[in-house]
Amino acid sequence: MNMSDFLSLENLTLAYAKGTAAVEGLHLGVAEGELVSLLGPSGCGKTTTMRAIAGLLVPRAGVVQLAGQNITHLPTNKRDIGMVFQSYALFPHLSTFENVAFGLRLRRVEKSELEHRVMEALRTVGLADFAERLPAQLSGGQQQRVALARAFVIRPRLLLLDEPLSNLDAKLRLEMRAELRRIQRELGITMLYVTHDQGEALALSDRIVIMRLGRIEQMGTPEEVYAKPKTSFVAHFMGWDNLYPLETIAGVVGLPASTGYTHASWRPEAVLTGSGDLQGRVLARTYQGESVEYLLESPFGSVKAVVAVEQAQWHEGQTLNFALPAEKAALLKG
Amino acid sequence: MRESRFPIVMLGLALLFLVGPFVVVFISAFSGDRTLAFPPSSFSLQWFAKVLTVEAFQASFVTSLWLGVLSTLLALLMGIPVAYALARYQVPGAEVIRVILTSPLILPALMVGLALLRYFVLIGNNSISIGLLIGHTALLLPYAVRVVSASLANLPRDIEDAAMSLGANRLQTFFRVVLPNIRGGVAAASVLAFITSFNQVPVSLFLTGPGVSTLPIQMLLYMEYTYDPTIAALSTLLILFSILFVLLTERLLGISKYV
Amino acid sequence: MLSQSPARLAAWILLSPALLFVAVFFLLPVVALLLESFHVGQTYGLNNYLAFFADDFNREVYWRTLWISLLVTLVSALVCYPAAYAVLKINPRWRGLIIGLIILPLMTSPVARTYTWLVVLGREGIVNKSLIETGLLQEPLRILFTEWAVFIGLLQLMMPLMLLSLVSAMENLPKDVVPAARSLGASEGQVFWRVILPLTREGLVVGGTLVFTGCVTAYVTPALLGGPRVTMLATLLYQKAGVTVDYAAAAVISVVMLLTTLLVNFLLRGRAAKTARAA
Repeated sequence: MNMSDFLSLENLTLAYAKGTAAVEGLHLGVAEGELVSLLGPSGCGKTTTMRAIAGLLVPRAGVVQLAGQNITHLPTNKRDIGMVFQSYALFPHLSTFENVAFGLRLRRVEKSELEHRVMEALRTVGLADFAERLPAQLSGGQQQRVALARAFVIRPRLLLLDEPLSNLDAKLRLEMRAELRRIQRELGITMLYVTHDQGEALALSDRIVIMRLGRIEQMGTPEEVYAKPKTSFVAHFMGWDNLYPLETIAGVVGLPASTGYTHASWRPEAVLTGSGDLQGRVLARTYQGESVEYLLESPFGSVKAVVAVEQAQWHEGQTLNFALPAEKAALLKG
Repeated sequence: MRESRFPIVMLGLALLFLVGPFVVVFISAFSGDRTLAFPPSSFSLQWFAKVLTVEAFQASFVTSLWLGVLSTLLALLMGIPVAYALARYQVPGAEVIRVILTSPLILPALMVGLALLRYFVLIGNNSISIGLLIGHTALLLPYAVRVVSASLANLPRDIEDAAMSLGANRLQTFFRVVLPNIRGGVAAASVLAFITSFNQVPVSLFLTGPGVSTLPIQMLLYMEYTYDPTIAALSTLLILFSILFVLLTERLLGISKYV
Repeated sequence: MLSQSPARLAAWILLSPALLFVAVFFLLPVVALLLESFHVGQTYGLNNYLAFFADDFNREVYWRTLWISLLVTLVSALVCYPAAYAVLKINPRWRGLIIGLIILPLMTSPVARTYTWLVVLGREGIVNKSLIETGLLQEPLRILFTEWAVFIGLLQLMMPLMLLSLVSAMENLPKDVVPAARSLGASEGQVFWRVILPLTREGLVVGGTLVFTGCVTAYVTPALLGGPRVTMLATLLYQKAGVTVDYAAAAVISVVMLLTTLLVNFLLRGRAAKTARAA
């Protein structure tokens, strides 16, 4: 374990909750000021892990350390960890101002400082004019911002966000994504971000941790996990749609067969069309604006290819030549 | 498509049957006659005046008010924690606990009154007023648990987690976040419980005696001697009291959800 | 979810005052009463029960209680089904008022409610007066202090419970099943028999249980409207305990009351479960 880690999980083991895999022997370190995403499908254990960090459930084994202190058995309210919930979890009976002031009041922050800090937080999220509204009088996006302000106004050592954007519509989600990144930079706050949306994780994170069935499948910078998936699961999750067992495909495309890898994969954009010595029949042609997506039938399985719209001259039922360039392949284990 | 009028007619008849007699009583209460006859031949306020002079009604009215308030408070004090525990924790044997706590509703109330009289008051040698308070509290407890549970079910759990992440301990979370958000349910439970206690007969029947009596019991005793319109006047007052209560609570709390 | 042990401890701390209260002040005396009903001299046995049912008068009281309660349950179901359906279909603007009118009697003292029938059904009451004035009767009809007076009083006392159970069952009907059935060609009557009735059976069971239990255990109504000639289980119980101070007999009656209500609950629920499974 790296001594410089601000947050560290060592051998974290959690009992399974309803519909969720048990988390087994998880190791993770997060540096101060870093934004790390836990990415994975629902039930992979990412939310369970986050709740253990928050102290909302106690691990079966393992240690949670924050800033060098073992907090594994510290009650939630003594951890100084801010949380943003998928449901926002605003207090329905309190105004925007009082929602944000809640944590400060518990800390007995003196009145003038409290007002100053709450209003500053509301200005940061652009809601200074909504201080007196009740949560029910705010739109989803505004509620989201109140939840965020309420969490960071206490200057937590760590901010946990559980799918904070998943209840917003697509346009607002993109806006809030940029907003979150700005606030994180501005405040220099360490964040752990749980999501099932790889686009969100790629856009926001310093580092991404991909989880599957309670274990870490791969972690790295967004560039690394996107461009160099190590397993079929990660490849599939990151949009490497053409995935074949190595024994089937190695001979066809000229890859070495026995290298310890099990699968090879290509992104749809990496498939060359109109030349090459493989042949495929067009099963489906989907127009996507700038490009056309082809689904081809080939002797070793179906192939998805994305072709710039100017070159997309083939129609359903036609046969065309294509190639899977060996140098563009990702070699995967498991 | 012609819709049948039959259901509406039945509803009208049912409402007439339920509420109609009240109107008859209202009118008799203003009777100027010496005995109970309907319709009265003249009108006066004499029976209302008489209600106020019957000493037994005055004393028992005060007892009923106190009994209602105290038993409601006790039932809420014990019932709210139960509702919270059942809603928020996975309690082993939760079903058994529910059955035990609702047993005061399942058992015939006369049996409850008799059991308390026989063993708590006579054999246990305790005061009859304490027995009365206990009987009423036990009877109200299931209402308190049920109504508060219903309102807790609508309260998302996340907001408690959020409060704790902001530094609130369990007690602070309960008093600052949970309680303010279930106050409608608590108020509805109080109203229902108070009315139930105030109108209660079978439990009180055995647990009243010289010195301690409730208003409904005094009304029953009074009717053993006479059916004169005094009771009509008192009933009118009680019915008006109920109407006010129903209107007020429905307006404030939407109490019909919990009945 | 918290870790198991502190959470469990917290739960028990919250539960124990109420559980202790009910156990000590409520269940203990009731269990003692239950035992007393089996107590014969120094031992236990069914003698008290046999003695109770050997008495012709007691048997008559039991059957009377049973049939009046069943009749009230049946009639209230027959009246309330269409009435509840009407509540559901009526203009929502009126619904609040109607629900209020149904709840009002529930919130009113049963003594006051029963007293209203003394005014309505008495010799000088509105029913007799209007029957005589219209020439339908020469002599006032004796209604008060008969079984019919008790039946009418109980029906009025209990009907709101049946009506509310059925209204809430109908409110919980899946959205749009009625228009869906109508669009498939069902007449209003067919909608009722084939869609609404099967889907609201649970409400009927709840309402029926409440009404029947309420009737078997009601004291005020038989005491005021039945008079000395129409004794029911509840009034008999009070006589035994309050007047003749025969606690063993009173204990027997309360247990008989309890068992009767439990048995009918059980039968009704069993039927509901069976029909639900068949559906």
